[in-house]
Amino acid sequence: MLTRLANGHVIDPAHGRDGIGDVWLRDTRIVDAPPAGKADATYDVSGKIVMAGAIDIHSHIAGNNENMGRLLLPEQRYASDFSHPGHKPQPRGAWNTGETGRLYAAMGFTTVVEPAVLPHQALQAHLELADIPIIDKAALTVLGNDDFLLNLLRRKESAEALRDYVAWTLANSRGLGVKVINAGGAAAFKDNVRSFALDDEVPGYGVSSRAIVKALQQAVNDLGLPHPLHVHCNNLGIAGNVETALATIKAAEGLPLHLAHLQFYSYGKEGPRGFSSAAARLAEAVNAAKSVTVDVGQVMFGQTVTISCDVLRQFNARNGARPKKYVIFDGDSNGAGIVPYDYRRTDFYNAVQWAAGLELFLLTDDPSRVFFTTDHPNGAPFTSYPDIFALLMDRDLRAQWMAGLPKEAMELTTLPSIAREYTLNEIATMTRAAPARLLGLKDRGHLGAGALADIAVYTPARDKAHMFRAAALVFKSGQLVVRDGAVIAESFGRTVTVAPARERTIEKRMREYYDQRYGLSPDFFMVPEAAVGRPDPFEAVPCSI
Amino acid sequence: MADAWVRGQPATLERAITEAAKLLQQSRLPVIAGLGTDVAGARAAIALARRVGGVIDHMHSAALLRDLNAMREGGMMITTPNEARLRADLLLLVGPGLLEVWPELPARLLARPDGGKRRIVWLCPGDGTGNLGAAVETIGKDPAELPVLLAALRARCAGRPAGKPPIDAQKLDALAADLTKSHFGVAVWSAAEQDEIALEMLCGLVKDLNATTRFTGLPLVPPDNAAAVQQASGWLTGFPLRTGFARGYPEHDPWRFDAIRLVDSGEADCALWISAFRPTPPAWSHDLPTIALTPTLDGFRRPPEVAIAVGRPGVDHDAVEHLPATGTLTAVSAGKSSSALAVATAIARITAVLPTAEPC
Repeated sequence: MLTRLANGHVIDPAHGRDGIGDVWLRDTRIVDAPPAGKADATYDVSGKIVMAGAIDIHSHIAGNNENMGRLLLPEQRYASDFSHPGHKPQPRGAWNTGETGRLYAAMGFTTVVEPAVLPHQALQAHLELADIPIIDKAALTVLGNDDFLLNLLRRKESAEALRDYVAWTLANSRGLGVKVINAGGAAAFKDNVRSFALDDEVPGYGVSSRAIVKALQQAVNDLGLPHPLHVHCNNLGIAGNVETALATIKAAEGLPLHLAHLQFYSYGKEGPRGFSSAAARLAEAVNAAKSVTVDVGQVMFGQTVTISCDVLRQFNARNGARPKKYVIFDGDSNGAGIVPYDYRRTDFYNAVQWAAGLELFLLTDDPSRVFFTTDHPNGAPFTSYPDIFALLMDRDLRAQWMAGLPKEAMELTTLPSIAREYTLNEIATMTRAAPARLLGLKDRGHLGAGALADIAVYTPARDKAHMFRAAALVFKSGQLVVRDGAVIAESFGRTVTVAPARERTIEKRMREYYDQRYGLSPDFFMVPEAAVGRPDPFEAVPCSI
Repeated sequence: MADAWVRGQPATLERAITEAAKLLQQSRLPVIAGLGTDVAGARAAIALARRVGGVIDHMHSAALLRDLNAMREGGMMITTPNEARLRADLLLLVGPGLLEVWPELPARLLARPDGGKRRIVWLCPGDGTGNLGAAVETIGKDPAELPVLLAALRARCAGRPAGKPPIDAQKLDALAADLTKSHFGVAVWSAAEQDEIALEMLCGLVKDLNATTRFTGLPLVPPDNAAAVQQASGWLTGFPLRTGFARGYPEHDPWRFDAIRLVDSGEADCALWISAFRPTPPAWSHDLPTIALTPTLDGFRRPPEVAIAVGRPGVDHDAVEHLPATGTLTAVSAGKSSSALAVATAIARITAVLPTAEPC
């Protein structure tokens, strides 16, 4: 089946396209315009914007912790039910896998990465991902608090041993990349450590957080994984933690490193309350460190829930829970905390956080090195994305918002002085071309021949939030799934993984380790394809080695 | 041997499937209950409930909800069986029923694998501590005393005076001091036989202890894969069990969607009863048109309208189940699989012969 999207404003930064033209697709893939071909179906998209499907590199959409959040907060809903097929009146969208896929698709997102899968909980994460309709998914495997790794480092074993271990864990948990979360912090918290910084050592192992990050960065690089090590730094959410972020950027030492939800590390100690935005300083450092990429973790106002494997930070935040309840979880060689939170416009600290995120977006020069996230649901639910696009694209809108926020907070940020407005082309770079490159997904994020036919068509509007909330058309792998913001077809996508090479001896070593430490076979956490319950659930992308 | 019955008579599987679909289709409010099944069965059951506007409830929801209520009212600090096994220097077993829901508890938790010291105290174990013998020190006996004992213990741990504890005051103070001094204490309980107030008090005690040291909890889960079905309900509906779809979208209410209440009050007019691990009959007293998916009909008061024999998850077919030893969902291989029908397959076949959803 040959389909033509005719006469749209095609924005495809990966190919330098930004003008009126056609996009052709045959079945599931994009093709060049056939010399004399006649389309089986033509969509007149004149006057509309045509982009590749968007890619979210960091959104907590699946796994035990996300599900614990659902169980903890039966009162929590998505902020919008916009995409619901609409046969029936529906309260605000329920927080479940079906709505997750539908709401993302309605906004033109076609691939989403769950960034924190604990290896021992991998099966549940993949069962949940498999139940999210329409979009494709991927998972990042969490390492860095695990006893096996910490022992490798303590004993100063070879880089090969570490590499094999990372490859083994990644393959068995079906991850696309490696995430490290407050490296060593969850392990230290079990020994009653209450604060943990980059050069602190994990009790009992004598290994510093920095050493863990550096070792994992090297292993990811050596394995040729397409996605750089994805780092959740120490000291999240603390006044003055910009120093931690700056030190971590410096520690990249020219090798690729991705720093997640940087907004939560962009705080100085200025002002009467000892809390200020240091985002401008941080953006300057990001601009200078060319091997580093970041995502923002924008805060938006309203009720949400913070879900994080940074158990130490979540424990320290527990008494600020809104409403007053939380779950703190000491997991197998890991941890997690679920703490509900209500970001308020009237709250000085929340207003500084909101401004700091926008500063990072607007002061980072290169839109291919700053990624669009709210760290869903930690800064805000992903349903708030359209409002954030609007804020980035419209300084008057920002001024209106700022007028309603505490003045003393705005005085401690540079946001009021920033005139930059994102263009649609920059938005397309940040949400399409760049994330595909960052994740090694060569056939996504662009509209060139051979790409997966994941396409979002928007109707331009003065109200950018409206434009991005309800795509006019969305194609997923060539199938029309959304029309005028409503889901009209519900297929199931796949989960993208890597399978890096490893020495076979690691298998035996890990089986012995599991038997000795846990008295169990590691089979308990493995993810056999047949157990996922959908045909052909995984797609592997190649490593560069 | 027949594998399907209609009104007590052996029938072909096709006929049983058709009759089951007919009952569900005619029903104004079906309950899909029991839910003793694997994750595939839970997915199918929840999809069916959505389709027919039914209610989902598990036979062990009462116990699940007791834990859940403590969690969603005030929060909880928890750990895994593995971390408890590796790290606990003080194991506080609380209340009765622990060995019943997790017979491997002694094998997994009594000794530290590294040979380190582990003190084990069992509060109010009721009638039996099994053959744990000298490894365990018991304090109190009658589980009915637990709420007061835990309240007194919590008060003493926080340095506040306690009213009239059910145990000797000096013993209470010594225990409070030991809890405070432990490095990684773990409280273990089973909500199946736990008073809700006691549970809230226990979770509060654990949270209080973390002001200065590390202490956490290990809730033991009920059988029949209840924890896995609860997880599946969470991700598929956004809610725990006792969720209904009558309005076309999921709504959760522990009272309104209690299957026993719905059946006994006459609100529900049809039941799909699932108990694949063992043939447990429903606990309600009212009779209503029932479709049973169980291995046998042992224990049923009267034959259900439709019965379809199903295989045991993880025994007759591969399954995803919650494992008590790891606290995770795990793919269990059946080894040799039998021809017995899986719950998911039976429900898929029933769903396939339902008339297409009405446009609405």
